[in-house]
Amino acid sequence: MKRWDLVVIGAGPAGLSAAIEAAEAGMSVIVFDENKKPGGQLFKQIHKFFGSKENHAGVRGIEIGQMLLEKAQKDHIQVELDSAVIGIAKDRSVSVRKDGQTREVQGQNILIAAGASERTLPFPGWTLPGVIGAGAAQTMMNLYGVRPGKKILMIGSGNVGLVVSYQMLQAGCQVAAVVDAAPRIGGYGVHAAKLARNGVPFYLSHTVIRAEGDGAVKSVTIGQVDSSWNIIPGTEKTFDVDTVCMAVGLDPMSQLARMAGALIEEKGGLVPTVDEYGQTSLPGIFAAGDVAGIEEASSAMLNGEIAGLRAAFKSGYIDEETFRTEYKKKKAALGDLRKGTFSPENKGRTDLTLTSEGLPLSENLFEKGFLTDEEVTKYPGVIKKAGVHPVIECTQNIPCNPCQEACAFGCIEVGEDITALPRINPQADCRNCGKCVAMCSGQAIFLVDEEAGCVTIPYEFDPIPEEGEMGTALGRDGSPLGQAEIIKVRKSPAFDHTALVTMRVDKTLAMKARAYSRKTFSE
Amino acid sequence: MEDNRIVHHPILGTYEKGNLVTFTYDGKEMKGYEGEPIAAALLAAGVRIHRYTLRQDKPRGFFCAIGRCTDCVMVVDGKINTRTCITPLREGMVVQTQHGIKA
Repeated sequence: MKRWDLVVIGAGPAGLSAAIEAAEAGMSVIVFDENKKPGGQLFKQIHKFFGSKENHAGVRGIEIGQMLLEKAQKDHIQVELDSAVIGIAKDRSVSVRKDGQTREVQGQNILIAAGASERTLPFPGWTLPGVIGAGAAQTMMNLYGVRPGKKILMIGSGNVGLVVSYQMLQAGCQVAAVVDAAPRIGGYGVHAAKLARNGVPFYLSHTVIRAEGDGAVKSVTIGQVDSSWNIIPGTEKTFDVDTVCMAVGLDPMSQLARMAGALIEEKGGLVPTVDEYGQTSLPGIFAAGDVAGIEEASSAMLNGEIAGLRAAFKSGYIDEETFRTEYKKKKAALGDLRKGTFSPENKGRTDLTLTSEGLPLSENLFEKGFLTDEEVTKYPGVIKKAGVHPVIECTQNIPCNPCQEACAFGCIEVGEDITALPRINPQADCRNCGKCVAMCSGQAIFLVDEEAGCVTIPYEFDPIPEEGEMGTALGRDGSPLGQAEIIKVRKSPAFDHTALVTMRVDKTLAMKARAYSRKTFSE
Repeated sequence: MEDNRIVHHPILGTYEKGNLVTFTYDGKEMKGYEGEPIAAALLAAGVRIHRYTLRQDKPRGFFCAIGRCTDCVMVVDGKINTRTCITPLREGMVVQTQHGIKA
């Protein structure tokens, strides 16, 4: 039986990060993945990631995936694809099935980074063709370039539901609505705002009653729920859609850990109990990424790195001092990602009313996906000033600070606490470079010149408007506000496919217009 | 057939694709790109029903698109229960709607 210092199960963000960390410490590493391509779900993530520069904030998931693969290749890490790990034992032998053959390898250490599977929501009609998982939609659109449907209804307002709905708009689909039984939008307000200003309505405290169609989905009916989750009669609404997409949570794929006999606990699904380094109750068997508790890809990468580092230390490849120093850094970065309005402790809470600065959290943003014109002025990213200046509509404590890095002229401050709301320094001089607009992962920064009636917005749809064209300025709620003339379109490799589109609108609309439609404006 | 295809994506640009190949779906000639999942080629062509269930004869289409749920299985080159979402399309493939566990 072939022996390895580290056997990694799953070539997603956690698995690859662990493998790289271990290989760079000198360990022999093999990675197994049941898929045909490595990278896990990273290659379906076409949005820019949140976080700090150290964990690739402002970089799209697909590019992070590419970076990981290149590193793995440089480190000569063996990645075996189409290889499903079907069993692991306490003695750390691993059974792998490939091409109908099963073989065994032995690991000095094993990392289980098998990820998660999508949860489903059964309702009458849910087995009809056209009812799909959010992951399936991403796979079809972003890997294979096929639209999952023409008109879609999304169930679930967590970050997955919000991000995938936006991806559907980018793919040229219509999104009829985002529906969630919870009273508040579960994902980041900035993700919801991207949808709302492009005309997608939110139905919170609503659930699906049924999907109907002869052979495939033709319509879906939703209804409002009361506090005990019963449908309130008379609130039913029917949408003519061909696709219903589910983003109702993820389940850790902890079967292998359970099979090996690791101690299991309930943490939003069954997960192996792990110590601060990701080691399960079984010595030498680690778990990282979604399999050890559902988080996002940035945390998964850090958790993977920590597990790889720990394995390297335990197996004698790095000394204690190196381990301590590196671990401390990674732990701090991980701690940063777990703070704020959407921290693990705050998950699902509906009673949060204030930001950590003591400002009111917008109820409107939680329920409808947009800030009102009045609300937006209360936040430190929004100031009144002569000439062009950034307006940052970032109103929830999200672990993210690329905006601070983006501005070389000191206009934007986030400070030490990565979840603090960005503040505009009124003394600094905005040069209209637009880097902050392109760099903001939440697309929440605009350049505004109120006197001139000019608004620069991030634009990620196809086709990109052309200078001189006339269209419609849309408000934060997606309503048409008035005519917009496109006066400038900026594209740059530094903006990474986010075009900066400057529109001229009536002066009174400069603090209201936040999106653009190519349709001609009519009263 | 290009109806559901994204010709140009704002972030991804154009997609890397294999050669255009011909296959048959329930006897009808269709085109798709070599190497893409059969399910993607069918979706692009507007085919939504992959199979009918054994006992209740209910229609099913793809659901997870990563080879896990098995809702998308069809009869491919005579082989039943082929997961079309992870089986790459090849020239001349014979793809048939699955009824229960037969074509």
